[in-house]
Amino acid sequence: MSDFSMLDYGLGIFQALLIIVLSPLIVGIMRKTKAKSQKRIGSGIFQPYYDIIKLLRKDEIISDQSSWIFRATPWINFVTTASAAFFIPVFLVYSPFGVVGDILLVVGLFALGRFFTMLAGLDTASSFGGLGSSREMMVSVLVEPALFMTIFVIASFYGGTNISTIVSSANDTSILVVPGILFALIAFFIIMMAETGKLPFDNPSTHLELTMIHEAMVLEYSGKSLALMEWSHAIKQIILFTLFVDIFLPWNFVEQISLIGISFGIMLFIVKVSALASFTAFIETRVAKWRLFRVSDLIAMAISSSMIGVIFFFL
Amino acid sequence: MSENLSIVYVIIAFFSLGATLGLFTRGQKYHAYFTYIPSAFASFLTIILSLAIFSSENIHLTFFNIQHLFDFEIFIDGVAAFFLLIIGLIPFAVSIYSLSYSKKFDDKKNNSALGMLFNVFIISMILVVISNNVFFFLIFWELMSLTSFFLVIYEHENKNNLKSGLTYLVMTHLGTGFIFASFMLMYAQTGSFSFDSFRDVTIIPQYVKDIAFVLAFVGFGTKAGMIPLHTWLPKAHPSAPSNVSALMSAVMLKIAIYGIVRYLFDFNAIGSSSDYVWLGVGIIIIGSISALVGILYALVENNIKRALAFSSIENIGIIFIGLGLSVVFAAFHLLSLSVLAFIASMFHTLNHSIFKGLLFMTAGSIHYSTHTKNIEDLGGLIKKMPWTAMMFLIGSIAIIGLPPLNGFIGEWLTLQSLLAVFQIPSNILQVSLAFAILAFALTIGLAGATFVRLFGITFLSKSRSSKAINAVEVPRLMLIGKAILASSCVLLGILPFIGINLIVSAFDLPYTPSSPFETISITNADGSNFASLLMPAVLIIFVSVIVGIFAFVRIIGGKTKTIKYGTWDCGFGSLSERTQYTATSLAEPIRRIFGIFYNPYNDITVNSYAKENLYLKKSINVISTTRNIFDEKLYGKIISGSLFVLDKIRKIQSGKVNAYILYIMITLIALLLFVGFGIHE
Repeated sequence: MSDFSMLDYGLGIFQALLIIVLSPLIVGIMRKTKAKSQKRIGSGIFQPYYDIIKLLRKDEIISDQSSWIFRATPWINFVTTASAAFFIPVFLVYSPFGVVGDILLVVGLFALGRFFTMLAGLDTASSFGGLGSSREMMVSVLVEPALFMTIFVIASFYGGTNISTIVSSANDTSILVVPGILFALIAFFIIMMAETGKLPFDNPSTHLELTMIHEAMVLEYSGKSLALMEWSHAIKQIILFTLFVDIFLPWNFVEQISLIGISFGIMLFIVKVSALASFTAFIETRVAKWRLFRVSDLIAMAISSSMIGVIFFFL
Repeated sequence: MSENLSIVYVIIAFFSLGATLGLFTRGQKYHAYFTYIPSAFASFLTIILSLAIFSSENIHLTFFNIQHLFDFEIFIDGVAAFFLLIIGLIPFAVSIYSLSYSKKFDDKKNNSALGMLFNVFIISMILVVISNNVFFFLIFWELMSLTSFFLVIYEHENKNNLKSGLTYLVMTHLGTGFIFASFMLMYAQTGSFSFDSFRDVTIIPQYVKDIAFVLAFVGFGTKAGMIPLHTWLPKAHPSAPSNVSALMSAVMLKIAIYGIVRYLFDFNAIGSSSDYVWLGVGIIIIGSISALVGILYALVENNIKRALAFSSIENIGIIFIGLGLSVVFAAFHLLSLSVLAFIASMFHTLNHSIFKGLLFMTAGSIHYSTHTKNIEDLGGLIKKMPWTAMMFLIGSIAIIGLPPLNGFIGEWLTLQSLLAVFQIPSNILQVSLAFAILAFALTIGLAGATFVRLFGITFLSKSRSSKAINAVEVPRLMLIGKAILASSCVLLGILPFIGINLIVSAFDLPYTPSSPFETISITNADGSNFASLLMPAVLIIFVSVIVGIFAFVRIIGGKTKTIKYGTWDCGFGSLSERTQYTATSLAEPIRRIFGIFYNPYNDITVNSYAKENLYLKKSINVISTTRNIFDEKLYGKIISGSLFVLDKIRKIQSGKVNAYILYIMITLIALLLFVGFGIHE
């Protein structure tokens, strides 16, 4: 740990802050893309920022049935996702906090946030919350094997679960079109859609009991708590996008620290992540919500895809 | 060394004191103190003993040397000391807990037997671990099984408890039979009943060691609750009083793990031989199946203690996965990976003892103040029993392996050793072990869902019955007992090197212990970092993020009000405890997807007002049940098969005297023929 200078740590914190600050922007870009592809004008890409600030200033109404779990969950959610941001390389080829935790810790932190969100859904004694928790339970249970298989493929290919190691060896690899990695990419994309509650898994833009999963759990939140919930959801989403970019599109990461290099790196990062976000949003407008029990088929596809990746690695 | 030995005597003396006082002070006011304070003290000494053994020499002593059969040898090495630590720590907490918990039985029945058996049960486990001779090992093993059997049927007024006790008795003796056979096989080779001669690997041929190990594995595995020999576990553990369930799940299962570890690394001496690959793979397969199936049944279970018992099966499975991987890696000369997998497995053993003890004690607290184990009757307990809820939450987060608690470290290490299988130079093995990752990942996911359900339905939302409405927080001593284990969960999670160092020095692993604030790191051959984890730093990041966001919200958001109001009811009103999600409905999607394991069955009866018009319904009753395919398909078949055979055999016993004389004749002739034509040397 000692071979990093203060500058490195400063940049590491800057990377994490960049993720936290840019996350609402990505939500805005995705909403805009969706609006455009549906022939709507849509709100501006900075709207999520205004929403968060507005919500932070509002009074809160909480259910009289709820306990401290309900009140603590937004904070826990924010803390887990924002802490996970520290381990993700954004424009540098490494994160100075890479030794502190690896991709499994990031998965664990997300799971901790989700654990509390599911409990909060049950806490308000409303049937909506239970419904959301129940469905989230199912999706998260099924996603887990796909996720770990994908991590297995990536770890085997790039020699580590440490994200900095993965990114630096991916950055050094001249050819990225390896069959194993391609299958891992398919699997990771599906996992990403499931984890961030995108169509066809979940439709966060409706409040209809037939479709909602994540929204049902956070239905009772208002004011500050809602702002934190939305924000941490956005951070989780941008972290998954960044991981996708880090692992599968790892070009031109900054290896030598210089002002030009870093600013170029930040630009490139924003371009790559927004492109991925727009692509995801575009896909969302092209599919319909799947029936809940067909979702397992899609996740099974992700599992088999990553399994094929494993086999390709060993061939 | 002599001080350590005197600690052993004091431990035995105090447990005996607890047991006798427990019997002789029956019905008195301070009965619980006389029984459980000696056991708490002796357990505490057990912790000290094990820590002393880590830093000094082993104890090896033969007591009376009459015949070789009856030597009472004790041998406390690092391996035994590690398990003694578990037998010290959990009973220490459980004894303090029992001081109050045993009052539950005060007005119902005499709890002198409970106190006596409790003490004998703990001392028998200690003696199993320290005895170094087949004869005494088996005697104490049997003592452990029998005392726990009597504890299982302690509340024998309930017919179900008697039945589960009987299942336990049969299954545990089946296991003992296998262990006995294995020991006899070793005896036949070595000609000695001492474990010392079993350690001498040179005289025993390979195939005998293999057979002996498989027999022992089945025997100890039955005690550990591996699938498909697990059937007693989810019946017996919930039947016992909760302090005993905590001991059984947290400690007794680990004694079985102790047996397997002894065989695997001490008697069998897993060296670097490729002969052991199949053995390791076998253990991994059984471990994966146990983990997955155990947690699948825990997920749909409505009896909180039975759900915890099923989750014990899962955790034993995870421990087996680590052990198996360790064997496989050792067979391929990947020594450092083998050490990693072994540390993972032992770390999880320690972890599981701690959080399962904690969870069973909290389940006992819930039963103590609500008198029900059915989570469908509970709900809203977080407001009535805030501290118990906190403990259960810590236990849940630990058991499902979430950071920053100890379960995460155990599962992280296990997962790292699973991810390292790509270093095994065999393609078939690599791809097949990838399926173990699949099973393991699914297990982790299902465990998360299980404990969301257990915690959410038990503690959150509205109370579902008057039992839960009238609940009150349990006495302070019960909370202290739980708090000891809860704080161990936190400590081992944040400073995992405390546990890792213990394991390293206990098992004499080729790895230098490091300071508790060190990074756990796994490096590749080329020196790059494969994975690393530094929990104290994670905690620092946590704290700084909390401070940061709190300040941000305060500055941007300013001061806002929080208003309490009813839950949103879509404007219809009348939200009641009947409109919220139930435990069964919460698990419904998963129950449907994994229906093949549960055979879910809905029994719907419609009562209509008139027979002629079925559309006007008076009431609809739905009974939704799940079934255990192991009990139904496997054990059901075995039981009906043996009943069929026994029914046929019964015909021999006709009750006629002349038939019996005929049998004697036939036997006599057969024996004469055997002697006459038998092989004489």
